[in-house]
This record gives sequence, C-alpha cells and structure tokens, in this order.
Amino acid sequence: MPEPGRIPVPLRLCRGCRRFVRIEHADCDFCGGDLAALEAAHAESAAAVRAATAELRTAMGRLLGLP
Amino acid sequence: MIEGQHDIALPVRYSGLDDILRRVPVSVVWEITLACDLACTHCGSRAGRRRRDELSTEEALDLVDQIAELGARSVGLIGGEAYLRKDWLQIIAAIRARGMECDLQTGGRNLSDARVAQAAAAGLNAVGISIDGIGATHDRLRGVIGSFEMALTAMANVRRHGLEVGVNTQINAHTLPELRTLMDIIIDAGCHNWQLAITTAMGNAADHPDMLLQPWQMLDVMPLLAELAVEGRERGLFIQPASNIGYFGPHESALRNVMNDEIHFHGCNAGDTVMGIEADGTIKSCPGLPSPYAGGNIRARRLRDIWENAEPIAFNRRRTVDDLWGYCRGCYYAETCLAGCTWTAHALMGRAGNNPMCHHRALDFAARGLRERLVKVKDADGRSFDHGEFAIVVEAAMPAVLADA
Ligand code: SF4
Ligand code: SF4
Ligand SMILES: [Zn+2]
Repeated sequence: MPEPGRIPVPLRLCRGCRRFVRIEHADCDFCGGDLAALEAAHAESAAAVRAATAELRTAMGRLLGLP
Repeated sequence: MIEGQHDIALPVRYSGLDDILRRVPVSVVWEITLACDLACTHCGSRAGRRRRDELSTEEALDLVDQIAELGARSVGLIGGEAYLRKDWLQIIAAIRARGMECDLQTGGRNLSDARVAQAAAAGLNAVGISIDGIGATHDRLRGVIGSFEMALTAMANVRRHGLEVGVNTQINAHTLPELRTLMDIIIDAGCHNWQLAITTAMGNAADHPDMLLQPWQMLDVMPLLAELAVEGRERGLFIQPASNIGYFGPHESALRNVMNDEIHFHGCNAGDTVMGIEADGTIKSCPGLPSPYAGGNIRARRLRDIWENAEPIAFNRRRTVDDLWGYCRGCYYAETCLAGCTWTAHALMGRAGNNPMCHHRALDFAARGLRERLVKVKDADGRSFDHGEFAIVVEAAMPAVLADA
C-alpha cells in the first residue's frame, strides 16, 4: 500500500460574510457572526426557496396542463 | 486541483478523499512531445522542436499500461502539440483501451477536421483549446497571426465530431481586460467548460515580467471571476478555476462552487492525485513543476516505484506549516492552504512555501493601505520549465496618488 496523501484540513463557510473559517470556531473570525445561527437561518431560507420553487413548478404544470 | 465530493456528474478527473488516502494518480497530464506549431510568449516548457530523447512508441504504450495499473482515471495529452507526434492516435487508443478517459489540450492551429475525425475514431473524449484573449491579443501571445481564428475553427471541428470541447485561458496583464467579452465568444461558440489559470512565471513567461499579474491585481481577478462563474452557470458555461487561482476571501465559494457552495481550495494535490509526465519519460508530481521535483525516469524505474517511493514526489504529503515562510507562514489559512500552488510559488520566489498571488493576502495588505509588488531579480536561464526569481516589495496601495498628495 502506498503511503497516504495529505489529508485536507476542512474549513466552514460563514453564511454572513461568505468567508471560510476554522471549523472549531463558534464565531466568524472575519465578521464576528454566530456561525451556527447563520447556518440555521441559511438552511431555513434555502428550504423556503425550495418550497416556493416546487409550488411554482406545480402551478406552471397545471397552467400548461402537464401531469 | 479541486477536491469535490464524489458525484456522478463530476468529471472523472475530480478526486475524493478515498483517492487521496490511496494516493491514486487520478489525473495524469502527459506532455507527449515538445514539438509545437505555435510560439507562445508564456510557454512554460519553451516548446518548439521535439526533444531528441522523446519516448518511442513502444515505450509510450508500455507507459500507458503502467499508468492504468496505478488506477488513473484520466490522461490529458499536452505538448508542445500532441498531434504532431506521429503515433498520437495509437496512444489515445491505448489509453481508452485501458479504460481511462483521454483528453487533448491544444492550441488548435492545425487541428483540422480530418485530425479530429481520426482522434474521435481512436476514442478521444474531450478537447481543451487554448484561447488567450481576443483576436490580436491571442495572436500576439501565441506568436502566430491568425491563430485566434484557427482556434475557433478547431473548436467547431471538435463540436462537429461530437466530442466535448472546452476552452483554456491564461489570465495575465494582456488577457484580464478581455475576459468578459471572451466569455460571450466562448458561449456563442457552444462551449460548456472554461478553465482559467494565472500565467505562471516559468519558461518564456519568466522572460516577460510585464505580462505577469501583480499580487494586488488579485483584488480585481477574484471578484471578476466569481461574477463570471455565477453568470456562466446561468448561461450553461461551467468555469473551472485552476488551482493557482485563489485563495479564500469572500469569493472563494462562488468561484469553486461545483454543486456545493462549501467547496474550497484544499492545498496543492501534486503527487497525491496529480501526476505529470515529460516527453522523455521524466515523472513529476505535477506537469508544470521544475526539474528539482522530478521523481525519476521510466527508462530507469517502473512507474509504480517512482510514484510510491521517489522522495521528490513526496514533498506535498510531507509539507507542514513549518515549511512555509514569509506572509504564508503566519496566515490564517496556512494549515489548509499551505501556500497554494507549489508551481506558481516556486516559479516566482525560487522556492515553494510563500505565494504572493493570493486574494486573502492582497485583501489583508489592502486593509492596511499596502500592497505587494513583484520585482524581477534573476533571469531564467533559457531551458524548459526554468524560472527566474522575484523579490516582493511592500508599498503604499496607491503610491502615485500618495506621492502627489
Ligand atoms: S497567504 Fe499563503 S497560505 Fe494564506 S491563503 Fe494566501 S497562499 Fe494560502
Ligand atoms: S503545483 Fe499547482 S497546478 Fe500543480 S498540483 Fe499543485 S496546485 Fe495544482
Ligand atoms: Zn463571517
């Protein structure tokens, strides 16, 4: 077996300022935001966008007479 | 190279954690000849005439078998111009017969319809065509009048035969102002992949320092590329930033988003999942790296032996923050980034571990009213893959304005 390659050190995306930050930190080192709270808010709005898109698709389908 | 999560829609040359752990050379880039029909002012290998000691057909076909045995998934043929090697179709067919994908990276000057037809019949999967700026800019950089039109013709030839076509573009002082318009041309030509790389100070490019970007220009490059990436996705063009573009800052996610906006640069992959091969059989951990990084030659050792045991290929998996120097040593991202692209840093600074071509770094200097400027202090000596050396001058962000004040 060859010696393994270098294991990447992952970072976490701050949903406030879009910078990547160290995963062990609770607050963003750049904008000071609460990373968990920002992530939760992002997940919520992403779910809302997904639901709205699905609704729109269904409505369009009805308009166009699609199954 | 970027590591993406494994996804059926991702190109096979994308690597995952499992590949890193098993150190599979997922993507092999093979310069099969140095013969070239263009005369590019930025050519890192200073291609033109074929090397005297290029591999024979028999050696090349044996090498294909050895590459396959290591588990490679994709072999990219480069040059020079790969199609100037008489047995290039045989090499393509052998790569495909061993179950690997094969792509060709070309300047496209003489990639005629007939040549594309032959390559398609041999099993070639994709072609990447170099387009560096528009019209006269491209012609000047590529050293042949009319080469821009020839590249567009080559692109049409490739599409006609149903092969996947992409465009490769160098970002430098000449092409940067033309990128936006170039994107429109590329989309209109029916292309769906655009790979961009910063011109590295190697080979011919090292002789033209005026062409190279200055570190502070990353402040323009990153927002522009992120904007183009978002717009490109909406218009069906997938932008792939090379691993010498970065790093971090507020646009990292927009730029590297491949179906997942949490993807970020993870550091150099040379020797872990990337392998480079020179036309004489020299094995390196990345095709662009200079000779001190050569692990050996397949005329003397088996490929597996070089890949698994040659120390010059192991630098990446041995590298730690302690190997960094200059600004990178104390950088917030040092542990993840390890000074970015080894090739770019080494070609500029004469050794790896400190990379001034970085957005995060330029932002940090700008926040303090400063910027870094590269000044050439040593010429390259004129061989393939050679480089000069640059010194970093830290100065006020707008020296002319300040001087007037
Ligand atoms: S300053 Fe150096 S270590 Fe930090 S992000 Fe930039 S290239 Fe990477
Ligand atoms: S040296 Fe640069 S181009 Fe080569 S593998 Fe490393 S990051 Fe990628
Ligand atoms: Zn933040």
